[in-house]
Amino acid sequence: MSAAQPGKAPVLAARNLCVKLGRATVLQSVSFEARPGELAGLIGPNGAGKSTLLRALAGLLDADTGSVRFGQTELSRVPARERARSISFMPQREATHPFTALETVLMGRYPHLGRFELEGINDRRIAREEMRKTRTDGFENRQMDTLSGGEKQRVMLARTIAQQAQVMLLDEPTASLDLKYRLEMMELLRSETARGKLAVVAALHDLSLAARYCDRLTLMSRGAIAAEGPPAEALTPENLRTAFGIEAIIEPDPVTGRPQVSLLGPSDPQSGANRQKDVRVHLICGAGSGRDLMRQLVSAGYAVTAGVLGLGDTDRETAEILGVPFVPAPPFSPIEDAQHERHLALVRSADIAALCSMAVGPNNLRNLKAAHSAKQLVIIEGPPFQELDYTDGAATALRSRLAERWPVEQGSQLLRRLARELTPEP
Amino acid sequence: MQAGRISVPDPQPDKSGASPRRAKGIVSSRGLIGSPVLRRLAAGSALLAAAVAVLAVIAASIGPYSIPPSHTIDVLLDQFGLAESQASNTEQAIIQTIRLPRIALAIIVGAALGVAGAIMQGLFRNPMADPGIIGVSTGGALGAVAAIAVGAQAAFSLALPAMAFAGAGGALALVYAVASAGGRFSMAALLLAGVAVSAFIAAIISAIVLFTENRDAQREMIFWLAGGLDASRWNEVRLAGPLVLGGVAAAVLLSRDLNLLMVSEEEARALGVRVGLTRNVLLVAASLITGTAVAFSGTIAFVGLVVPHALRLVTGADHRVLVPLSALGGALFLLAADTAARVLIAPAEVRVGIITAFAGAPFFLFLLIRNKSRASLL
Repeated sequence: MSAAQPGKAPVLAARNLCVKLGRATVLQSVSFEARPGELAGLIGPNGAGKSTLLRALAGLLDADTGSVRFGQTELSRVPARERARSISFMPQREATHPFTALETVLMGRYPHLGRFELEGINDRRIAREEMRKTRTDGFENRQMDTLSGGEKQRVMLARTIAQQAQVMLLDEPTASLDLKYRLEMMELLRSETARGKLAVVAALHDLSLAARYCDRLTLMSRGAIAAEGPPAEALTPENLRTAFGIEAIIEPDPVTGRPQVSLLGPSDPQSGANRQKDVRVHLICGAGSGRDLMRQLVSAGYAVTAGVLGLGDTDRETAEILGVPFVPAPPFSPIEDAQHERHLALVRSADIAALCSMAVGPNNLRNLKAAHSAKQLVIIEGPPFQELDYTDGAATALRSRLAERWPVEQGSQLLRRLARELTPEP
Repeated sequence: MQAGRISVPDPQPDKSGASPRRAKGIVSSRGLIGSPVLRRLAAGSALLAAAVAVLAVIAASIGPYSIPPSHTIDVLLDQFGLAESQASNTEQAIIQTIRLPRIALAIIVGAALGVAGAIMQGLFRNPMADPGIIGVSTGGALGAVAAIAVGAQAAFSLALPAMAFAGAGGALALVYAVASAGGRFSMAALLLAGVAVSAFIAAIISAIVLFTENRDAQREMIFWLAGGLDASRWNEVRLAGPLVLGGVAAAVLLSRDLNLLMVSEEEARALGVRVGLTRNVLLVAASLITGTAVAFSGTIAFVGLVVPHALRLVTGADHRVLVPLSALGGALFLLAADTAARVLIAPAEVRVGIITAFAGAPFFLFLLIRNKSRASLL
């Protein structure tokens, strides 16, 4: 990751952090860096260790092994008040105290005051400024315990910014906010970061929001980092499946161009089964070309069948895990007549068939032929087919004839089309 | 959002952020003129201090031997070398040796209980906390009752306050040890241990009182448990004064940190407070002044509960205002209660602990009903 921004040295860096709480290991060998000018997002399921990592970075938690460095210094050696001037932390816990909103924001100035000093004009100006930016200036004299969850959260954000630290660590800063404030507060964080001096690390639940505003996403799962990188790299169907156990399609948002996550359902086929839809989709696939689409279709509730799959084929393993009916064949052998007949029956009885972007050789050429019998067909987009053709052009010819009749599109488009056609007009 | 973002004058916040250790003095003293904290503190202190002064003059004037307030003021000014007294020698003697030490002790003990209550309510984030919540008062009471039971005063005139003080300290040590057992200190455990230890000690006190065969000693115990300032001499004032002053000073010094501790320990830590140290100093300070109060005046209920609670409704929750004002408010409340105790059924006296509970409890219930609709109890 450091190669992405070679100019900026990390201001806060965790190395091989291990944290145990009781017997449970909450963090195992986590390394993380916060860089000036960067808005970094921590994503991951509940209990993945996001809050623990933030607390360790904030110096509020002692790691069992590993270290956190602030600049060149070990963070645990930095005196508390000095640390509070450099690193701010916004907890997830909702405020329940009787201080007013303005008093609460002014607390962000405490680390900057001498022992006998009271907040001065400058401190009050900063507090009011941040309250204006977070739209909390309308209720500065209301007590925190009388505010709504979203109002409290914005006040807390104002306090955290008013602390004017070099690193801001935020635990779910937008969890209680409505849609408008969610966007506004993320915009605010972006503009604060964009000045180049501030490093922000925020744990976020809303994946699309995280992808839209963060420069970098770190996906955590079971106390470790499962993926890290620019949003488009970190957010993949596979990563989300591993970390969250969900099926999702990820496409560029038509307006922002950032990855947009559409949730299909839990990966666990059992939980998908109880909202079965009355539509049969047949997948002609092999060697992993149908894996994502098969999982996505199953979790969205469609009755899925799959074409002739040889023993050891990764798509066959997926089909077995998901309980998807398929036509079995021995490994690395040509499709025989009986298998082909059974396959044709599945293809014909399906409401729609999808031809995945699979390599075609002499052994599975008949799979491609079977596609011609489909009532309706979709050809799933992939790399240029010439690269996948191991039949000296026979497969390419077959596929071209199919492509004349049927659309070539992405898996996500197929899912969307299926969803649209299934939803009855009101 | 767009408009809000564009109109932000960019360099300004950065300028102030670049030098976190601002030049003190000029900037801050100029800023203080508009400081709501200072304004509330100054106005509240002036008001309460004036009320304490007026009440002190009244308290010094009334009693079995009535003294004109003008003479009282003369004696008081004379005390500080500010005027020649016109009062008679009898008047001077009554004020200086009987009434003034009692007024001084009422002010000291009242301030102690008010501040200890404010600290405990802040530390426990609970407006129902009182100075005795962790068992310090009952510990002190046990020491005092034991001193009476063994007749320790005959051997040493300050044996009772000394043993009461030791009892308070012992209770704090025991409760703190339980709360930190297993290496992790917890405020919730401190509270629960305090409740349990209090109940346990209260049972011992009851047993001692019941099994004391000497009627006079038994009566003295019951008197002492009801709380009273009738035994006040300058000696007591000289001992209690510095102890309470020390505890109050610690609380005032740490009042900003107490604000953050009241928000949450985690946020306090994130905002630069050394949580363990600060909390322990505050616990010891509150226990020190509560123990002192109990040692010299017995158990006086409701001052520490009602005073900070009521003041918070007026001044807000900021402990930089609340702690000093709780000292003055506690002094005012206890001085008023003690004066009432002296004159209500004169020439006899009501125990002051009865008065504070009688006046404090209904007032507390009134506050409770009035604020019940609010989301929080505070």
